[in-house]
Amino acid sequence: MKITGYRVENYVMQMDRSIADANNPVGDDLMPASLLWIETDEGISGIAPGGGDIEQFFHLLEGEDPREVVGLWRKMVDYVHKGGLVASGGPIAAIDIALWDLKAKIAQEPLWQTLGALEGRTKAYASGIGYCLSDDELFAFYRRMAERGVDGGKLKIGLDMTADLRRIGIMREALSVASDRPHLMVDVNEYWSPKQAVQAMHEIEKRYDITWIEEPARRWDYEGLASVSRRIKAAVATAENLRSIGEVYPLIHNEAVDIVNVSTATTGFTGCRQVANMCYAYELPVSMMNCQANYMAHLAAALPNHLAMEVVDPGREHCLRFDNTIEDGFIVLGDAPGLGIEVDEEALHQLQAHPPERKSNFPFARREGAGLYVKEPEVGEVPWK
Amino acid sequence: MKITRMESTLYVFDQDRRMGDANSPAGRIKGSGCVVELHTDEGLAGIGLGGGGVRPQMQAMVEQLLVGQDPRRVQGLWKRMVDKHFKGGHDGLINDAISTLDMALWDLKAKANGEPLWKTLGGSKQKIHCYASDIGLPMSDADLEAWYRRMATEYGFCHAKLKVGLDQDADLRRLEMMERVFKERTDAPMLYVDANEYWSPKQAIRKVSEMEERCSIAWIEEPARRWDYLGLRRVKEGVRTAVCAGENLDTLGDFLPYFQHRAADVIQVSYGMTGISCALQIADAAFGYELPITLGGSPGLIHAHLATVMPNFMTLEVPDPVVRDGVFTSDIEIVDGWAILGDRPGLGLEIDREALEKQRVDAIPAGSGPSPFGRRPGAGLYEVLPTAAEQAEAAKGVSA
Repeated sequence: MKITGYRVENYVMQMDRSIADANNPVGDDLMPASLLWIETDEGISGIAPGGGDIEQFFHLLEGEDPREVVGLWRKMVDYVHKGGLVASGGPIAAIDIALWDLKAKIAQEPLWQTLGALEGRTKAYASGIGYCLSDDELFAFYRRMAERGVDGGKLKIGLDMTADLRRIGIMREALSVASDRPHLMVDVNEYWSPKQAVQAMHEIEKRYDITWIEEPARRWDYEGLASVSRRIKAAVATAENLRSIGEVYPLIHNEAVDIVNVSTATTGFTGCRQVANMCYAYELPVSMMNCQANYMAHLAAALPNHLAMEVVDPGREHCLRFDNTIEDGFIVLGDAPGLGIEVDEEALHQLQAHPPERKSNFPFARREGAGLYVKEPEVGEVPWK
Repeated sequence: MKITRMESTLYVFDQDRRMGDANSPAGRIKGSGCVVELHTDEGLAGIGLGGGGVRPQMQAMVEQLLVGQDPRRVQGLWKRMVDKHFKGGHDGLINDAISTLDMALWDLKAKANGEPLWKTLGGSKQKIHCYASDIGLPMSDADLEAWYRRMATEYGFCHAKLKVGLDQDADLRRLEMMERVFKERTDAPMLYVDANEYWSPKQAIRKVSEMEERCSIAWIEEPARRWDYLGLRRVKEGVRTAVCAGENLDTLGDFLPYFQHRAADVIQVSYGMTGISCALQIADAAFGYELPITLGGSPGLIHAHLATVMPNFMTLEVPDPVVRDGVFTSDIEIVDGWAILGDRPGLGLEIDREALEKQRVDAIPAGSGPSPFGRRPGAGLYEVLPTAAEQAEAAKGVSA
């Protein structure tokens, strides 16, 4: 089997609802998106949500056997040695994902089995990414998840302590049908300084038992993160904005992180697994970041130290069909070969033919005041104020 | 595909040279092993090599945890085996059992795909960097030189290792001999020395410093006890040579102090550390620390498969460029000083039934296999030179 070609399709993802965090509490429901196909001489294609400049790497892939995905990963990573992974991480991740999809399809098995998992399931937690949601909408989201057995939830916070405390309570109440003591997580997306984080968590922990606080300091600030971890009861979760295992290393070595957020951002399945294994050596749990169609659950299911995977479910799979569901609080993967994702080409064509008229706000810029002072939402910016 | 049962056979074989290290200067000439076969309902069998001392433990694990399971789900089955032994720990004898069964599971996973293990792991076929490992402390200078020369000329090795530790003058002399032989192959041979935990950290610093004045050494292996991360780090900081360690650790958790305290410059990995599954985890953790991996000696050189997916892989230990056991063949070959992977499905091992029947034994005889005599007196304290009786034994060579 040999790689013969590739195709990238770009479109604007129109989600069923907006998502928002402390940096952009208004949020957006439009997000630029891509799909990548890697084609072979035997008619099977590997699919990945993602894209970017694939051409720069294709000469490394052409004619190669896609089953040798880890070797090809190495070629790509070594190829961008000089420039590093910041600029090239996206396309490498997309290629790596499509190659793993191919590898599993060739073996005619779901990717979770190719990766050696015993079962195609992994624990889920609900993540609204809903700073733009009203209190009622917030309750409805978490209740809907709890009714599918999800017993943990994460809330975007950081701009308004009164509202944040109230909304944590709303999330807890919504999740209470799944558990008497649901796991409560909060996420501030690097909006605070370490001491702001310590003070805020001191207030929050008077009222609630918090499982983790996510990104309570800058992604690279291992001393700041470590100082937050030492001063609060909740775990510090971070790393979603890092791009390689080498960037994760100082956090681990300096005890700056208690739960490591892993994702495709560290060069796809291959790099993500490396980070997770390094965490395993340090007895650190990992938590898989959300993604379209939950495809990263395949890897999460195979990791011995995976805690729970983020499920946002904003309705963003309009041109995809996928075979996983949320049952009894777990993401349950099907037995379709590969990632279990199929593209609805007609729906994709319609999205491309009728793009939205306005531009998307993604990726969110950093909000004024970040790390310095809190710039509260203005009247009318969010429905909960 | 479902696992149905396990079969295991002990065997002995003759070595081509008298092997030993600082702990066993008299050496041994008999080798032993255990072939484990994990059978499935589809006729495929996975091969594991090892576990000769833990056959009851393996049998129990197969019956309780593996029968009826799909071997392609090896990572999950690995966790089952590890978690099962939570209380007592999955090191020691249990580690031997898990390692061997995990190897057989990976063999099956690759065979189920009809592809070699290196491809199942996702690796690209490549030449694997390797070195000739003498394990020949009992050998005379002349015999050892002949062996090195044969490795250099017949198999093309450019890099080699020397067992050291008991007699500094002899070690210096043999080190220079090894350098001389391999300099005929390359201007810059990588020369490794291995003390097998026979020294204290300060002994190691004194001895290695003296060796460094004679030639450039690529690493000193196990210059302190396996768990003594402080001692290993002292040596690391006390000499210019890299410190290589880890060979006798059993689990991923055992390596945590090495990483956190930066106790070693090169990390040794083998499938004997809770299996191929865990070897991959250790290598990833070391990769995060920018630490190179060296893969230890393995039956049929099967570690070469793993090298293809370890971005921080440095070199593979080769004690024997061809399989000496007799009871199986491997399709991994040494050509021009590199290990060359084959294309047979799985690990690339094939059992020679006739030879296995001939070499089969009911129990492993005393004095065969690695380190059969335990730790040598004086270890970590002072050097106990080979006695007259040990020298006489060693001088017999392979004629028992």
